[in-house]
Amino acid sequence: MNMTRKNSIRKPMRAEKKEALTAMVFIAPWVVGFLVFTLYPILSSLYYSMTNYNVLNPPSFIGFENYINLLKDKVYLKSLTNTLYMIVIGGTITIIVSLIVSIIMDNRKLRGISLFRVFFFMPTLVPTVIACVLWIWMLQPTTGVVNTLLGYLGITGPGWIASPTWSKPAMILMMIWACGNIIIVNMAGLQDIPQSMYESASIDGANFFQKVRTITIPLLRPVILYNSVTLIINILQWFAEPLIMTEGGPDSSTLFYSLYLYQNAFQFFKMGYASAMAWIMLIIALALIIFLLKFLKFGESE
Amino acid sequence: MRGVAKLHRKMKRSKLAGNIETAILYLILIAVSILFVIPFLWLLFGSFKEGSELFRAPFRWLPDRIQFDNYKQMFTAIPFLKYLKNTLIIVFFNIVGSTVSSSFVAYGFARLHWPLRNKIFMIVLATMVLPFQVTMIPLFIMYTNWGWIGTFLPLTVTCFFGNPFFIFLFRQFFVGLPKELTYAARVDGANEFRIYSTIIMPLAKPCITTVAIFAFMRTWNDFIGPLVFLADDDLYTLSLAAQLLRSNLDPRWHILLALGVVMVMPVLIVFFLMQKYFIQGVAMSGIKE
Amino acid sequence: MKKRIFALLICVLMISSLIAGCGQSNTNKPADGTAAPDKTAEKTADASGELSGTFTYWSCFSGDSMIWDQGRVDSFNAENPNVKCEVQFVTDSAGINNGKLLAAIAGGNAPDLIIADDYSSAYSYAANGSFESWEPYLEFTGLSLDDFIKGYQDVMYYDGVPYLIPQDGNALMLYYNVDMFKEAGLDPNNPPTTLAQLDEYADKLSVKDASGNYTTFGYIPWLDSGNDAFVWPFFFGNNVYDQETKKLTITEQNVVDTYEWMRTYAQKYNPEKIQAFVSGAGGMFSPDHPFMTGKVAMTLTGNWFTNALRIYAPDVNYKVAPVPVPAGGRANSTTVNANVFGIPKGAKNPELAAYFLKYAMQPAVNATNFDEWRSVPTIDAAFDEISWTKAGDEIYLMERKLVNSPDSGMPALCKVSAQLSVDINALRDNVIYNNADPLPLLQALQDKMQAELDK
Repeated sequence: MNMTRKNSIRKPMRAEKKEALTAMVFIAPWVVGFLVFTLYPILSSLYYSMTNYNVLNPPSFIGFENYINLLKDKVYLKSLTNTLYMIVIGGTITIIVSLIVSIIMDNRKLRGISLFRVFFFMPTLVPTVIACVLWIWMLQPTTGVVNTLLGYLGITGPGWIASPTWSKPAMILMMIWACGNIIIVNMAGLQDIPQSMYESASIDGANFFQKVRTITIPLLRPVILYNSVTLIINILQWFAEPLIMTEGGPDSSTLFYSLYLYQNAFQFFKMGYASAMAWIMLIIALALIIFLLKFLKFGESE
Repeated sequence: MRGVAKLHRKMKRSKLAGNIETAILYLILIAVSILFVIPFLWLLFGSFKEGSELFRAPFRWLPDRIQFDNYKQMFTAIPFLKYLKNTLIIVFFNIVGSTVSSSFVAYGFARLHWPLRNKIFMIVLATMVLPFQVTMIPLFIMYTNWGWIGTFLPLTVTCFFGNPFFIFLFRQFFVGLPKELTYAARVDGANEFRIYSTIIMPLAKPCITTVAIFAFMRTWNDFIGPLVFLADDDLYTLSLAAQLLRSNLDPRWHILLALGVVMVMPVLIVFFLMQKYFIQGVAMSGIKE
Repeated sequence: MKKRIFALLICVLMISSLIAGCGQSNTNKPADGTAAPDKTAEKTADASGELSGTFTYWSCFSGDSMIWDQGRVDSFNAENPNVKCEVQFVTDSAGINNGKLLAAIAGGNAPDLIIADDYSSAYSYAANGSFESWEPYLEFTGLSLDDFIKGYQDVMYYDGVPYLIPQDGNALMLYYNVDMFKEAGLDPNNPPTTLAQLDEYADKLSVKDASGNYTTFGYIPWLDSGNDAFVWPFFFGNNVYDQETKKLTITEQNVVDTYEWMRTYAQKYNPEKIQAFVSGAGGMFSPDHPFMTGKVAMTLTGNWFTNALRIYAPDVNYKVAPVPVPAGGRANSTTVNANVFGIPKGAKNPELAAYFLKYAMQPAVNATNFDEWRSVPTIDAAFDEISWTKAGDEIYLMERKLVNSPDSGMPALCKVSAQLSVDINALRDNVIYNNADPLPLLQALQDKMQAELDK
């Protein structure tokens, strides 16, 4: 044992160098992949974002024109506000619902939790395209399951994805349905909270809600923040759902950031313009990533 | 003595309250999980309904009769086996590529010491949450110039360069293995590649399983990748075929629902057989220690 | 040890595939897009003019039409042992509307022939220089471009050069429910011919229940083909784009009138409720189309709808009429939505593609297509050979008349039609859902898109 420690603390220079060189071989595939499939695309995207480019003709440099035009583009601003709506309202609701469910499931008195966990996790396994098909039908105004269920309660359901007012709430329903991942992460975080803290709070006469407020939420904060950040980044990438279910309509109410980006790139062939959108998205994502790394000490083990 | 009696009474009261509390919690859980499961039931029932039955108002839960015509038609109305084969080819390369390359890279981050290691690992983690849309356009242009659009290459080659999430999973696992494991081998003069392949990897079976499952899931469910990079019907994956069916002038929903069941089933089966690995993998993603 | 070798092997494989990929791009890319690789010469012909070789054909069709086109290719291959057509089915109008055709052209592996169902996007490709001219290959097609019905001529030429050849077209008509006409006290033999009549009939055909909710709508302007961005402006008399002056024309009075007219419908009936009421998962080819379920009494759609009605609602008693138009509009006419053939830039075997076209354009080869969909040929003489004409089918006779009208044609033939169509529909939604004033919106859109055009 002693030998090992000594060894690892003060290795001879040559051994250290050799180890570092070996490590380079090990990480080489990632380095190549990162340079070719991540870094180069990001940098060339920055260049494209300052050009007028339709793939066939060589790009022509136009400086910041694309960015300026974006700020003047009402459709872009609409896609931005739609996405913001989903982040602020949809994201908050999803986080709260998943939190409630996972806190309930963390109750040690309850049995059969693993079965419930299966139910909540199952929707995340459904391929997106199939989930969209499923929800198109679930949300049908007259023959859909959602409005049938509401009908049992005596409520006349809205037109959901056929209505500009209700299309985003409809998509939030889908988002909540697929929040199994968040629940699992929450539960892993909850397990780290020592049971003794709850017990001593019980002896002090704290009820369930007091315990949640004073113990669970504060200790779970990093997990909640992590979930929020990843959820926001997922919402930024929301694409298949509006494409397959609504094509951005009605009244552009489901035209989200990534869908408009896709349209510009692959339907209107404005690669430069779409790249500018991608770079704005990158800046938003980077800010979130830095936040994640700085404030949550994400990934810093040992 | 008085204090103890008080505590006793308090505990009795809290036991009753606890039972009511438990009942309420169960009710909530059951209600919510019913809502979560209903879409699955709808899909399953729907796949047995005839085309005209689907559109009938008012809505009825159960099909008039159990019939498998939709499933049979799935083989004749669309080239289902071709799409399945394409999907499995991509899935296969992704599983092999991801497990081999990611574990290899992770070894360099977990078991070897070198300067800047943690800083570089931060970059790996950062790329984990990088939206695909950011690199999508330049990749499309790059693959266009390489003549890769309309082939499987964009969907298979990249996984041989390590996926950040899988690198992360392997690294967490490797870090947890005791140092002593490899010490003896090092003293015997084995090099790192040998240690990686003969000592570490055989121990990493649970982690390999998790990564393989996730690689399968991601590829099986992937939509935007095939949408952007594949061109003709001969190479379509199941996801893309489903979208094609949906956007048709004549959607044939009953076949689409049968296809949906067929696409969901394998994932659910894998999940039920290997639940532990799924849950671990997802839970790990949120652990930051 | 084995695994180490395996890992190294994979690294080598990956890197070599990368290098191979890079190399490929250099060899495959046509130098300037015009020079066809020298392969063509040895492959296609010697002096005798006997063609041989293999060519690639991208077809936009799906569903039943895909099976039909596959059959056409199979019989071509059977009849021409020296020429092989390799057909690939590529969605979104043969890859035009999703970037795949662009990628193929830029990547140096363009198909030799495509057929696209979105003629306006195909035209914008032609305008952007993504197609080869048909001129040098016309002799192989055996076609005379002057024979084509006038309504199709606009889409064929850009700057006087023929880039697209239409295979067949579709006619738009007003479908109306005879039984509902009778119930409302209207004469089913006198369908509306003017816009004012259409509005009046729509009013009479709309039915409310006791609680004031509509159970039937007479007409919804944005249903079916009315949902296509350029259709109603076209019937109001606008071309959306003027090829002579190269200017958009969407601020002209007739376009403003189009959306003001739609606005009256939105004001009369709650558009959110309309949408919830008529929207079904099924769309055109399902028994829950609102015309089939009796939720709407009249709708503007194409000849294909007769086939849908035959399959899904054989009991609906319907008739068709030319689309009613306002004063100054295009009475007794139609947009001639065509499926168009084009040779992408950089195609290696355009002669073979042209030779295939000769086969594919024969009325006999297309007969099953016309029989099933009641679509219309692009050369008037071909009508005589089609079973519907021989049988004296009334709808088909009307289609022939409509397509041959001097007012028939295709709107929005310009470089930016794809985006324009998305944006105009967004504008329309803005008008009907938010009661927005159309003129300022149209002006803003025209300014934005004209700037794109002038780039």
